[in-house]
Amino acid sequence: MTDPAAMTRAEREAANIVAVRLIVGMEIHVELATRRKVFASAPSPAHRDFADAAPNTLTDPVVLALPGALPVVNERAIELAAGVGLALGCRLAEVTRFDRKSYAYPDLPKGYQISQLGLPVCFDGLARVPRLDAHAKPTGAVVEVPIARAHLEEDAGKLLHELPAELAHLHPGARLAGLIVDLNRAGAALLEIVTAPTLVSADEAVSLARGVRAIARALGASEGVLEAGHIRFEPNINTELTFDTGRTVRTPIVEVKNLNSFKALRGSIEAELRDQPDRWRETGLAFAPGTKTTRGWDDERARTTPQRDKEEADDYRYFPDPDLVPIRLTRAWGDRVRDALPELPCARFERYTRELGLEGEPALALSEEPALAALFDEAVRIALETGASRAESAARAVANLLLQSGARLANERGVPLDALGLDAHDLGQLGAMREQGELSAQTSDQLMTRLASGERHPRELAEAGGMLTVRDAGQLDEWCDAGIAAEPQAASEFGAGNDKAVGRLIAAVMRASAGQADAKAARDAVTRKLR
Amino acid sequence: MSGAFEIASGVRTGAVRAQDAAADALRRAREDIDAGEDGLHAVLQMFEDRAMASAEAIDARVARGEDPGPLAGVPVLVKDNICTGFGRTTCGSRFLERYESPFSATCVERLESAGAVVIGKTNLDEFGMGSSGEHSAFGPTRHPLDRERVPGGSSSGSAAAVGAGIAPVALGSDTGGSVRQPASFCGLVGLKPTYGRVSRWGLVAFASSLDQVGVLSASVRDAALTLSSIAGHDPRDSTSSAHPSEDFTRELAQTLDGIRVGVPKLASASQNHPSVHDAIERTKTALQARGVQIVPIELPSLEQAVPAYYVIAPAEASSNLARFDGVRYGRRAALQPGEGLDVLYKRSRTEGFGEEVRRRIMLGTHVLSSGYYDAYYETAMRVRRVIAREFTGVCAENGVCDAVLMPTTPGPAFRLGEKTTDPLALWLEDVYTTPANLAGLPAISVPAGFTEGTDTGGVRLPIGVQLIGRAFDEARLCRIAHAIEVSAQS
Repeated sequence: MTDPAAMTRAEREAANIVAVRLIVGMEIHVELATRRKVFASAPSPAHRDFADAAPNTLTDPVVLALPGALPVVNERAIELAAGVGLALGCRLAEVTRFDRKSYAYPDLPKGYQISQLGLPVCFDGLARVPRLDAHAKPTGAVVEVPIARAHLEEDAGKLLHELPAELAHLHPGARLAGLIVDLNRAGAALLEIVTAPTLVSADEAVSLARGVRAIARALGASEGVLEAGHIRFEPNINTELTFDTGRTVRTPIVEVKNLNSFKALRGSIEAELRDQPDRWRETGLAFAPGTKTTRGWDDERARTTPQRDKEEADDYRYFPDPDLVPIRLTRAWGDRVRDALPELPCARFERYTRELGLEGEPALALSEEPALAALFDEAVRIALETGASRAESAARAVANLLLQSGARLANERGVPLDALGLDAHDLGQLGAMREQGELSAQTSDQLMTRLASGERHPRELAEAGGMLTVRDAGQLDEWCDAGIAAEPQAASEFGAGNDKAVGRLIAAVMRASAGQADAKAARDAVTRKLR
Repeated sequence: MSGAFEIASGVRTGAVRAQDAAADALRRAREDIDAGEDGLHAVLQMFEDRAMASAEAIDARVARGEDPGPLAGVPVLVKDNICTGFGRTTCGSRFLERYESPFSATCVERLESAGAVVIGKTNLDEFGMGSSGEHSAFGPTRHPLDRERVPGGSSSGSAAAVGAGIAPVALGSDTGGSVRQPASFCGLVGLKPTYGRVSRWGLVAFASSLDQVGVLSASVRDAALTLSSIAGHDPRDSTSSAHPSEDFTRELAQTLDGIRVGVPKLASASQNHPSVHDAIERTKTALQARGVQIVPIELPSLEQAVPAYYVIAPAEASSNLARFDGVRYGRRAALQPGEGLDVLYKRSRTEGFGEEVRRRIMLGTHVLSSGYYDAYYETAMRVRRVIAREFTGVCAENGVCDAVLMPTTPGPAFRLGEKTTDPLALWLEDVYTTPANLAGLPAISVPAGFTEGTDTGGVRLPIGVQLIGRAFDEARLCRIAHAIEVSAQS
């Protein structure tokens, strides 16, 4: 067989590809939630206080690139960038410098973007993130991803092709001739994290994306709202095709721009893995400098589409920005940033799975949300102080309360779980009671509802409400009889050997006891009676 | 006309009214504007009402027994690439013909808080690009002593106006000599401070790493006095130095005993106008007579400054001027149906920029483009570092001299049109001024005599000499310059 690079179309069509290896590198853009923009004193839309600002209200002479205006770096942005970098295992630069990246576009007021080419704030990292499977479920393992660099830059503005709703009344029914430029986002602090091209699957890419989002949120570096564009993903994807002859060829890199959901990230990588071999058969184009193309993601058709945009300018004419002096990051400063880092989400995930024995899913759900994790940790501590016997079972009890009853309540109220107003002490006490078998699933759920409504002291509530599990054998016997009487069909099925029917019977017993029966004891009693 | 020092002293003691000084200056500025093509074309715009109101407020403060500041009642003109939050800031460009800045430059704010009265804005080579004053979109500025000659540039209007006595002081900007060269041509003092000494906030950037706001005046004292008011750290400019401002006039009366002045050997000296050589020799003699030790020095890379400068300055300019795209402010070209963004950019910029600006944008874009960056920009930056090292090597506390004396320009003011067809010849005008910008050092041009007039149409044209000092050593530089000025006048 000939060299794959020299094959004719017919040869390529006929070539027998025996393996396709995926090669992915990621660029992740995190909008840093600083109050002010990265080089201007105008407020940043990435900060929650200004997220809903009307178009072109977050501007000043620097943002508008008025003649005579000069950038001054926002030190908070450097600090957040360094924090995220350190959390990704990066080294901090001794001296970091800003460069101008030139291209012309109406959303870029200066005609250049202030970015970092040679001396980024952070470099040479190794990110640790929980590994997710194809269903975004944690496997319990951790992925390590080499990080090439993380540099600070300014965001561009936005171009609107249609009149924003609040202006539509000015030109009713009119189609917009031209573009509307909104510079609110222009100059917002952006951290661009670049990995080495070492990711081998969409799972890993999504794991990294989700892990980075969790880190950024844990550090307070970003609100992390994907729909708001706070974090954007740009995978660089290509494949290595292996032929039956043993020869290989690499396909050109496709960069998919501006993805703002995990689903789109997964979709675009899977689509490229599927399409690149076919594209090679058709065009014969192999990986080489200058063959990289930019594509967008078409969510409806689940495929990437060619994109020609501003980023395709062939020459950015980078040079050091003479308006900004290089910044020396001292070791002492770096140590202070490092010391101020909170427990990282992945470390917390590992603590929950290894030390507390939680399953991957609850461990991830609790470890990703800083406020929720704090509530959980405190509640587990309280549970152990108020009667729980073992950390693992106490943790499981508290996790279940939060992720079952709590999640249901949060969902009903349309608020995040950590905004239910639960008191850590009450939650811990409730967990301890549940761990000790003093409450059933039903009564503990009722108590969670009451706690979330602002009531306090679950033990007193349970006692006053007669909700504590009753251990009296005679009483249990009565409730079992009542339950069997209520479900004659299930009773006869269970008696005949159908184990599945026991669920209906236990539910009936619990109903008869108003939740005070111990479900496990009830099961034993019912089995004794019917078998 | 009195100098700034005399006016301020008079106003502060109540002997002179700020309103009279302002009215006089405004009247002279009005004459220049009204003369149109026949005048110097130094003043582009004046702020009559505002200036009179400020002057009145200053007089009122004096009447209340307050001190309005060291520049009390001094009428000043401001080069039109320095933003004023009142009136227009055109940069001498069609692109910004009607542009009004919403804010004032730090140096303008500081002038006003020191009691100065801003009476108007002056003509310039577009965006500060040019050494003759001929590259203004609004027409060339003329030399106050000979209307057929250029006043130098790019601070052409500031130099012509101070030279003609319209105002005692004007602000200029100096990227490669734009304050010193016109000062030399017009017989004035032109002071370019150390890079970082004066905030660049509000100075419309030409080449950010070289630009510095400077002062043109009739005397060293006035330049020093004015610098004292505008210098000092500004948090709005990252490149602004932490050095606090000083009273730069404090050393003027001191003797020069023990001062060492280095005089470099110049390969280009033989091509200079003979009056330049004479001015340097006279100055050496005068300084020696005052106790200065003259030291021959070598600055071997000095004359590489122009090629390095004409890579670095256009590179930065090409980027700094990218913001003039017709989208947010300034000139926006009309589009025909079907024409898009590319046409908007191209046409707005073609209509808005003059030839010299376009030339430098093209050049700068080229030297930064991939494949050329190392050969041009990197090399130029290396030359820049070498030049800076050579200066700091000789001119230091433990070096051989305290300041360097050399010509400001290769010759006196040239005729209008003389160098417009040959951009390279015009660029070579900057051979002695660009090194101080590349090295970031303070430099001053001070009058040191006149041509004989035999080859300049009978008009005896001023010749300046230049002193370059150590970083942040403006006080000593002014002291030496003051001695030169005094000897040249005697």
